[in-house]
Amino acid sequence: MTPQNKNLLIAGVVIALIIGIMSPYIASTNPDGLEKSQQQINPNFKEPGYYKAPFSDYTVSELGNNPFAGIVALIIGILVVLILVYLVAWIIKRRNLRETSK
Amino acid sequence: MHIPDGFIPLWQTPIYFAIALVALFFAFRWAKNNLDERNIPLLAVLAAFIFVMMSINIPIPWGTSGHMVGAAMVAIIFMSPWAGVIVIALVLLIQGLFFGDGGITVLGVNILNMGIVGSFVGYYGFKGLRKPLGKVPAIAIASWAAIFLGACLAAVELWLAGIFPLGLGLTFMGLYHAVIGVLEAIITVVVILGIEKVRPDLLAWNKKTDQRNLQSEPSMDVKAK
Repeated sequence: MTPQNKNLLIAGVVIALIIGIMSPYIASTNPDGLEKSQQQINPNFKEPGYYKAPFSDYTVSELGNNPFAGIVALIIGILVVLILVYLVAWIIKRRNLRETSK
Repeated sequence: MHIPDGFIPLWQTPIYFAIALVALFFAFRWAKNNLDERNIPLLAVLAAFIFVMMSINIPIPWGTSGHMVGAAMVAIIFMSPWAGVIVIALVLLIQGLFFGDGGITVLGVNILNMGIVGSFVGYYGFKGLRKPLGKVPAIAIASWAAIFLGACLAAVELWLAGIFPLGLGLTFMGLYHAVIGVLEAIITVVVILGIEKVRPDLLAWNKKTDQRNLQSEPSMDVKAK
């Protein structure tokens, strides 16, 4: 990786982490556009909820009901997404290189 | 704009998964031919940025809130809707699996609304409007339309799922997301102009210009000789 790209990666992750740390303090607790529409049009509807995610509502519930629980969840998410997308893209590129070199 | 798990009847979900899988097939084919060492870090960083921006619900009028999606942003930066499809699909997968935003059974429909519609409307909107309106208005209108049209499609899907009547669904979803789209437009313009200032080489439209300039240089040399 070139130094320029390393700087891009570091700067991007730092920006994402700063936003993530600020998020619990600035995010609105109001329902989003879709949930609000559903509440207004069909308030009796209850979602069945087929699957329970470990960090529901972007919170690590084991850490209690405080902003820190949200910050930790977001930091985990940022790093998982970053690594997953990087890995998927890298694997696709490697496969392409192998195919073209044959 | 994530449709939560359970909103779409299970028998309808394979239709949306099929559409998403076809789009992902073409998206991976694009990635195979277009990703390189220079733009992979950018793709990963944009995905991380989009993940965190999707988690922040910004308050808008009428007691509701909204977040950016970012599909149009990625599609415009990479000048390909397939780049947006890949990023949004992977972000939605993580959000559904770990954070309960969206969900697993609705992954296909959410990829369609945010990833596919968002990326295609963003990319073709920008491409079509750039010449007549200029770069910034084209980015703003395309990214606004990406949110608005994705929300309208979600209203239609929720009508098919029996959650909303069509008229009311389109009215409320359209109204709220017309405002949320303004946030999307502002953030998209700021991010793209920021990248253009700091690393213009990362924007695909500059790459194409560079290649054209490089291709034209040898012929100029020949003429000079």
